[in-house]
Amino acid sequence: MISGLSSSRWHLTAIVLVVTAILLSPFYWVLMGSFSTPAELFGTHLTLWPKRLAVENWSNALSRLWPHVNNSLIVSTTVSLCTLVLTVPAAYALVWLRPRGGKLLFNFLLITQMLPAIVFVVPLFVVFSQANLVNNLFGLALGDMTFTVPFALIMLCAYVKDLPYELVEAALVDGATQFRSFVSIVLPLTLPGIITVGIFSFLIPWADLIYALSLVTDETLQPLTLQLYKALGQYGIDWSFLLPGSVLTSIPAVLFVILASRFILAGVTRGAIK
Amino acid sequence: MSESQMTNLVSFSEGYGSQRSRFNFSPYVFVLPCALFAAALLFYPVVSSLALSFRQATVDTFVSGDMPFNGLTQYQAAIGDPVFWRAVINTVLFTVFSIVFQFTIGFLLALLFQFEFPLKSFCLALLLIPWVLPLLTSANIFKGLFNEAGLINQLLHLAGNRPIPWLADRQFALPATIVANIWVGFPFNFVLLYAGMRNIPVELYEAAKLDGADYWRRVFQITLPILKPVSVSVLMLGTVYTVKVFDLVWIMTGGGPANSTHLLSTYAYQVGFSILNFGEAAAIATLMVLLLLILNLFQLLMKPR
Repeated sequence: MISGLSSSRWHLTAIVLVVTAILLSPFYWVLMGSFSTPAELFGTHLTLWPKRLAVENWSNALSRLWPHVNNSLIVSTTVSLCTLVLTVPAAYALVWLRPRGGKLLFNFLLITQMLPAIVFVVPLFVVFSQANLVNNLFGLALGDMTFTVPFALIMLCAYVKDLPYELVEAALVDGATQFRSFVSIVLPLTLPGIITVGIFSFLIPWADLIYALSLVTDETLQPLTLQLYKALGQYGIDWSFLLPGSVLTSIPAVLFVILASRFILAGVTRGAIK
Repeated sequence: MSESQMTNLVSFSEGYGSQRSRFNFSPYVFVLPCALFAAALLFYPVVSSLALSFRQATVDTFVSGDMPFNGLTQYQAAIGDPVFWRAVINTVLFTVFSIVFQFTIGFLLALLFQFEFPLKSFCLALLLIPWVLPLLTSANIFKGLFNEAGLINQLLHLAGNRPIPWLADRQFALPATIVANIWVGFPFNFVLLYAGMRNIPVELYEAAKLDGADYWRRVFQITLPILKPVSVSVLMLGTVYTVKVFDLVWIMTGGGPANSTHLLSTYAYQVGFSILNFGEAAAIATLMVLLLLILNLFQLLMKPR
């Protein structure tokens, strides 16, 4: 728009595609690498495409990682649902019902976003190890929620602000309770925001390493990320396992970005600029 | 915003007239679960971390549970350790270089995306990928690219250069982690700057064009000044996120070789969970928050009022 012309310009598309390809080449490398033998990938010559697709990398990685995918699914689903249950009603109330202390709560959660994870990890490890929440998937989910709850509340407040509150008022005048109007009016109207935040609250624990590393030592309970991290010995990394595993870990996020980039864009810019 | 506040005010006064005898407890019911969570899992740890930093919390006292108060001992121990200062310098270098490059790449991309062209939203979605990838994936990608026999050395070889042992070399390991972090963070800068540029009225550009200003003049005299508040927010958010970076460096180098890539986050984690000195880890965490405040103060001073 800066030039004032908005007609189709395929030459610009060509430039942008080249730039995009260069910027995404590291991601291409891991996709290609997950189907290559380490000897080929780390040979003296540059390979742009494996001579033979090493599908066995994937079948080995999948069979080894499947139980851990399951752990990650359990933790991420729990975190996502619990985060929404805690934050959706709270965001609505903070923006429209304004309880005393609401501003304080919001500002405190905003500040916690700035604090490094280690501030939470050390004390929670101390408490969790006394409360039997170490080596416990629910304990891990609680830890991960220290990331998702502040983030979700801040983002949801931005969505809830756009709500046409007259509709809620009309329902209240007609005799509906606050709870009823929340369920039948607020929830459906903020659904796009709830879904976006719910997906982010799934992806954050899915990718978490620091809480898994600190709170889970039991092999059978380890989530995907931790299992892959453990495969990184200081010497002799098994790339034929690590690369398909890394791609596997990225699948939910990549799916989300391809299917819902519009929502992410709206969400990110809302949360950060307002 | 102000309009919605008005309706809120009106509804409040109406409600007050008709139901003055009934205390409206529902806002508290809506907020209570979230407030309880915040108190137990966010507020308590912040206070506890601060308290822990003044206590001797090592393996033995941790198991026995008494953790005696010993004042500033942990802070003195942290400050007295040369690795701590290495980590402070690394954190500043890591943050400054990451932010400068992420912002520049993000800004140039946003300029490009100011034009309309076919497949624009498709390219935009693709460019978000590095930002949403789990850090474990990104870290492993760059661990592979910077491997002694990895792609970057293969390219150096093609250009007739000797290979560099990037992640095993005390000089090159930190720059390698910075490159990885720039890759992870540029989309965030891009997206926010892109959103900011969309709010600039087209008439401004058209008027400048009529006055004979060429493209780069328009960028420097219209886009950049109008984008200043957004840029400051982006830089501040970027600083906060970058100072907190842990996973990427922990996975790529673990702080090594010979502690040369420790950031405050990885160093605090190592002191806490490898050496099992939780008190000193908490002290380093507190110092890290101080550093964050200082870096942000710098940027606040730049903010136009």
